[in-house]
Amino acid sequence: MASSPKTSSPKTSASKTSASTTSAPTSSATTSSASSFRQRPWVRWGAPLLLVAGLAVLPLVMTEGANDTLARIGVFAVAVLGLNVVMGYTGQVSLGQIFFLGLGAYVTAYGVQSGWNIVLVFVLTCLIPAVAGLVVALAAARLGGLAIAMVTIALPIVGVPLAKRLSDFTGGSQGLSARFVEAPEGSGLYDDQWQLYLVLVIGGIVFLMTSLLVRGKYGRAFAIVKGNENVASSMGISPYRYKVLAFTIASLIGGVSGFLYMVVVQYTSPETMSFGHSIELLVAMVIGGAGSIVGSLLGGAFYVIVPDVTNAIDPSLTALLQGALLLAVLFVLPGGLVSLPRALMRRLRRSPAGRGSAAPPTTPSSTPGSGTAAEQSETERQGHA
Amino acid sequence: MAGELTLQDVSLQFGGIKVLQDVSFAVEPNQIFGLVGPNGAGKTSLFNCISGHYRPTAGTVLIDGTEVQGARPATLARHGLARTFQHPALQLHETVLENVLLGAHARLPGGALEWAVRTPRTRRAEKELRAEALDLLERNGLGWAAHLQADELSHGLHKGIELCRALLMKPKLLLLDEPAAGLPHSEVETLIATVRRLRTDDDITVVIVEHHMGLIAALTDRVVVLDHGAKLMEGTAAEAQSDARVIEAYIGKDAADDAA
Repeated sequence: MASSPKTSSPKTSASKTSASTTSAPTSSATTSSASSFRQRPWVRWGAPLLLVAGLAVLPLVMTEGANDTLARIGVFAVAVLGLNVVMGYTGQVSLGQIFFLGLGAYVTAYGVQSGWNIVLVFVLTCLIPAVAGLVVALAAARLGGLAIAMVTIALPIVGVPLAKRLSDFTGGSQGLSARFVEAPEGSGLYDDQWQLYLVLVIGGIVFLMTSLLVRGKYGRAFAIVKGNENVASSMGISPYRYKVLAFTIASLIGGVSGFLYMVVVQYTSPETMSFGHSIELLVAMVIGGAGSIVGSLLGGAFYVIVPDVTNAIDPSLTALLQGALLLAVLFVLPGGLVSLPRALMRRLRRSPAGRGSAAPPTTPSSTPGSGTAAEQSETERQGHA
Repeated sequence: MAGELTLQDVSLQFGGIKVLQDVSFAVEPNQIFGLVGPNGAGKTSLFNCISGHYRPTAGTVLIDGTEVQGARPATLARHGLARTFQHPALQLHETVLENVLLGAHARLPGGALEWAVRTPRTRRAEKELRAEALDLLERNGLGWAAHLQADELSHGLHKGIELCRALLMKPKLLLLDEPAAGLPHSEVETLIATVRRLRTDDDITVVIVEHHMGLIAALTDRVVVLDHGAKLMEGTAAEAQSDARVIEAYIGKDAADDAA
């Protein structure tokens, strides 16, 4: 309906696209070449294979300390990923994600201490936090807006004293430790290498599945619930159901991160799920990049590396540095660290030097007025109402 | 199979304000039905009562003979009701194609776990509906924009994208809220042709809220005129345009007297 064959609209649209390709050579050229590069079969299959091979070798060649740091990054990247599902993708503020990590860790520790089969323990670490999240979400998602945030604040606040009180299951303030991840005999691996492999495999599967989920049918549904609930419901997407679903998935992923936490740290106490840690997870998500898979990885790295660095200098610096970094990112990179390359590209393109060097020398007619031509096509598009 | 819509004495009240009072009319299958009236007459509120976004205070809404007042909008959407909004709400940072694909939601099979592992069934369905969405865009003259980001495009194009999104739902009853608002003259002509095709090719019943009398006159079989939340008259567009009460409602009593 936008353009009829009789009127000149198709012509203008065609000229518009051609104008934009010639007048903005830097943007269209770089993006199209990048996407065609990514679509080549050897890149599509080669790049992931290379990544997997690299990650498979990494634990063998790194020091024990580096293996441990990387494993902890994996643990918290998974926790941040869960938070991203409910908050980054679906737009529902959750301040209680750490509770599900803690719950998963306790379920794992209790199951291991009771001598249950480790596969059963893992299944329970997924199911119990998911059911807990489902029950909370069924009530909280009805309230909407800030009320959800308030309910989720309650989780770690209630969780810590509860963990202290239920000492039969949780070991009270002493906490629980569970050693269940010694490297299998005959594998020739050290424990730290084996632990990192476990984190890489389980975390990798969670990341892969989540990145598939947040595209396609469910990704679009989550995004429109975040964007406009009235439109969502008129498309047959019940905002309530999808908020509950997102929250449940986030809790399940939180539970998995709790299992991985026990793999790496092998000890959990009420302190694990303190409210402060929950806020740190939130900060990590924002700094890494809300609504981004790669951002979740960066968030996990931030969560682990910043305290490691500041503790080496002065432990009291940790909170200060985290706060300062959060402010800096919010002001400079609202999309989080993951948006840094794009922001840099845009900056480069805008600067006259960047544009001049990138303009194709073969089309001299477009070079001198490239900036104004691009602006014109921009205004033309907006004015085309 | 086109849908049938009947409203019986629908009233809507917010606190003490009566937004709609005892509005009744019937839209037959495959009709194009107009809903006109001055600003604030309650046209969009009536749409919201039909689509489930508002719950009428009294009265019944029937779609294909089933009472649906009070049903949730998502439920109604899954039963063949689609609508557009006065201000098209698109996902501005997504491509046009992704925006249109949102309309396919209820037609895509599979639960969250299936989509997280991308079973062959979900892959096939996504591929098929992607092709269908592209085809729909192509037929509405928007094929060239499919892979552009929505915020690069004009308001008029947003309206077209929103219509494609609604059509991908394969509705039997379509509510269009001011589809011509903000469109240049040439595109109104295209819009008229598009809506006509919805009736003939896709067998959809269409209800239109619109101020553009040219479009109403060219398209609709019947119109209802609303004023201050009550039904002023019902008839053909020509009858409405010559009705003294309608002229009075639009331009005021004194002016109507002067004109006479």
